Amino acid sequence: MNLRSLPYFLLVCTMLLVTSCTQESAIFNTSQTVFKIGDQQKWAAQNWNDLGWRTRIGSVPDGKIYWSRTKIDILEIQEPLRPYGLQLFVYGEYEVYWDGVLIGKNGNPGQETILDPEGEMWATFSIPTHLTEAGEHLLALRSSLYYFSNHTRIEELRIDYYDDILTEQLIESSYMHLFAGAFLIASLYFLFLFLSNKKEYATLIFSVICFLFFVLIFAEFMKAYVPIHYTMHVIRLQIIGFLMLGISFLIPFYFSMQFPFPKRKLLLIIYAGILLYIFLSKYDYFELTANNMALSMWIFAFGIVVYGVYKKMKGAGLVLLTLLLSVPIGLVTTFNKSLFAGFCLILLGMFYLLSLRIKEQRLAYENTLVQSTRLRLELLKKNIQPHFLMNTLTSLIDWVEESPKKGVLFIEALAKEFDLFNQIENQKLIPIAQEIALCRTHLEIMEYRQEINYSWQEEGIDLEQKIPPAILHTLLENGITHSLPLEDNSIKFKLVFESNSDYKCYTFLTFATVVKQATSTKEDGTGLKYIKARLTESYHSKWEFTSEPTNHGWKNTLKIYS
Amino acid sequence: MNILIVEDESRIAKRIERMTRDILGDTLQSLTHINTLDGALTFIERNSLDLVLLDLNLNGNSGFDLLTTAVSKSFHTIIISANKDQAITAFEYGVLDFVPKPFNRDRLEQALHKTIAKEKKETNEVKFLAIKKRHRIQLIPIEDVLYIKGAGPYTELFLSDGKKELHDKSLEKLEQLLSPAFERIHKSYLVKMSEVKSIIVESGSKYLAELKNGVLIPIGRTKYKDIKAKWF
Repeated sequence: MNLRSLPYFLLVCTMLLVTSCTQESAIFNTSQTVFKIGDQQKWAAQNWNDLGWRTRIGSVPDGKIYWSRTKIDILEIQEPLRPYGLQLFVYGEYEVYWDGVLIGKNGNPGQETILDPEGEMWATFSIPTHLTEAGEHLLALRSSLYYFSNHTRIEELRIDYYDDILTEQLIESSYMHLFAGAFLIASLYFLFLFLSNKKEYATLIFSVICFLFFVLIFAEFMKAYVPIHYTMHVIRLQIIGFLMLGISFLIPFYFSMQFPFPKRKLLLIIYAGILLYIFLSKYDYFELTANNMALSMWIFAFGIVVYGVYKKMKGAGLVLLTLLLSVPIGLVTTFNKSLFAGFCLILLGMFYLLSLRIKEQRLAYENTLVQSTRLRLELLKKNIQPHFLMNTLTSLIDWVEESPKKGVLFIEALAKEFDLFNQIENQKLIPIAQEIALCRTHLEIMEYRQEINYSWQEEGIDLEQKIPPAILHTLLENGITHSLPLEDNSIKFKLVFESNSDYKCYTFLTFATVVKQATSTKEDGTGLKYIKARLTESYHSKWEFTSEPTNHGWKNTLKIYS
Repeated sequence: MNILIVEDESRIAKRIERMTRDILGDTLQSLTHINTLDGALTFIERNSLDLVLLDLNLNGNSGFDLLTTAVSKSFHTIIISANKDQAITAFEYGVLDFVPKPFNRDRLEQALHKTIAKEKKETNEVKFLAIKKRHRIQLIPIEDVLYIKGAGPYTELFLSDGKKELHDKSLEKLEQLLSPAFERIHKSYLVKMSEVKSIIVESGSKYLAELKNGVLIPIGRTKYKDIKAKWF
C-alpha cells in the first residue's frame, strides 16, 4: 500500500473523532418512574404520595389517560439567566408538569381520536428558572397512547441547558449532513462513471451504496428539524432498517467484485441468508438488528479484504487499513456515527484507488499513443529507408539509361506504391484488397529491381476482411529479401485465407530457395517486430503468428481469434 | 585485374558490372558477381583478387562480417551501399572508398581509379587494421601500430606493445590506406610520423629515423629530401 496516503487518513480520522465526541455531564439523577391509569390533576403535585403506583402498567387501550411520575435530583446549580431544559423521547401525546406546574404540552392527551395527530417524538421544554434549584424535583406526565398502547414508558429523559439541547442537535445534524452531501456527490460521480463505462458494475454498486448512505443519514438525522409524530417513528425505523439491510449486503458484495474469491456466489448467498435472518428474527428491535447487521457486514467484508491482501490484489491493503481504522472509531463513537465515519474512510480509499486507476489508464493511453505514432512512423519509413529507396533509385537510373520506356513504367509502379502508402499511412486497419494491391505493386517494383519473375496467388480471400496495414507487405519484403529464385528464375507468393467461428487465418507462402541467415535469429528483425506490434495494437492478445521455413520456401501463419 | 562484385540487387549488379568493364577495359582480367554472403566468403577464400565491390546489406544480413574478412585480405575493398550512415565505419575498417547509391559512371570511375592510380588518401579515417588469426579476424587499432615493414606480398605490423603481426595487404596498399599519417620512408618501411623522434644522419649519407621507443629505421636515400622538407 502506498504510504503517502496515510497522513490523509489519519487527519480524517482525527476530524471524525473530534466532531463525533459528545460530552456527558452529570447534572441530574433520576429515580424509577411510576405509572397509574386514570386522570387526576393533583397527581401532578410534587409531594403526592405515589406509593401505590406501578413501575409498569403494560398496555393502556383506547387512548385512555394515564399518568407517570419521575423523581429527579438536580445536582448542579444552573448558571444565572440560563434556564435548564428538559428533553423527552416518549411515545404518545402528553402534558408536562414540573413540580406541579404545567411547563409544556406535546399534542393533546386524551383527544387523539378527535383531533389530528400533534406533537413529536423528541420534544424539548424549558423549565422555569425558579423551579430548578439543586435538590429533588418531580416530573409528571399526563399522557395518552392511542396507537402504540403498550409503549407506556419514557425512552429517554435528559436535562441540560435549554439552549444547549437545541443547538447540540443542530450541530450534530449539520455535520452529518456534510457527510450526506459527500455521499450524494460520490453517488452521482460513480453513477456517471458507470454510465460512461457500462461494463463496470462495481462502480454502479458503489454508487448505490453511496446513495443509500445519503438517504440513511437523512432518515437518521432528520429528527432534529422535522417534527415526527410518534405514530411515524416506527415507519422511520423501518426505513432505516431496510437501508441498513441493503448497505450491509452491498458493501461486502462490492468488495467481492473488487477482490474476487473462489465460491463467491455461494458465499454471498449464505451471507445474504444470514443478513435476512438477522433482519427478520428480531424485527422489532431495530437498534439491535442494525448493530448485528453492521457487525456481520464488517466481519464478512474484512474476510474478503484479507483474502484480497493475501492474494496481493491491487488496493486491498488500503481498504484493509480503512476497515481496521473504522474499529477504533466504532469503539469511541456511537454506532450511527462510526458507521458513517467508517464508510467515509472506505469512500476515501475508493477515491484514492480510483485516482490510481485513472493514472494507470492515462499512462496506458499515452503509451498506446506513442506506440501508434511509432508504428505509423515505421510504416512511413518503409518507403524512405535508404535500402529500399536508394536501391530502387539506382535501378531506376539504370532502366532510364537503358530503356526509358521501361523506366517510365517503373516510375509509375513506384508512384502507385507511394500513393497506396499515403492512403493507409494513418490507419490501424485497412481492407485486405488494399493490402493485396500494395503487395502486387511492390512485386512490380521488385521485378524491375531484381529481374526475377515474381508471381502472386490468392485463395479464399474474403474482401470484407480488414487487416493492419503493411503486415503482408512486410512478410512479402522479408520473403523477397531472404529468398533466391528457383531454377526457372521465379519466386512465387501465395496468400490463403481460412475462417471459422473461432478464428480467421492467413497463410502466406513463399516458394523459393531460402537464403541461410548468417546472423543468429534469437531476436525478431524489425519487420517481425512491426507485425507483432501492429497485431497487438488491433487485436490485443487475440492473435498468433508463426513463421517457419518449409521445404518449398517459407511459411507464415497469422491467426486472429474472435 | 580480378574483381568480385557482391550485390544482391541483380539490376544494380549488372549496372556495376557493365560500367566496370567499360571503365577498366583491357586491364580487367576477370569479373565475378555473387549475390549471397556465404557465396562471397567462399569465393574470397578460394580465389586471388585485386578488388572487391561490396554491398553492405545482403539478403537482410549485415555485410560487416564480410567487410572485416574482406579488409583483412590482400585486395582493396570498395563499398557500394545505400546506407550512407555506414560510410564512416567502413572507412574506419580500412576500405578504399565508399560509393553511395544511387551512383553514376563518374562516381564509380573515381573509385576504381583509386585502385589503378595507387592514389593516396588525403584524410586519415582508418581506425583499425584487420588481421587474420586462426579461425577469426582481429582488429588492431591504428594507434597501436608504430611502423610497418614490407615482407614480400605481406607486411609486418610492429605494435607499441612490442608485438609483431602479419597482414595480408602489401605495403603499397597499406600506404594508400594509411596516408597521410603514415609515410613511406623506405621501400620496405611505412612509419607513423608522429612516432618519429628525430632523423639521424650517419656517414656515407646513411639516414635513419629514430622512433620514440628507440628503434632505428632506415630512410631511403631518394626519400630523405622529401621527408625532411615535409616533416622537419
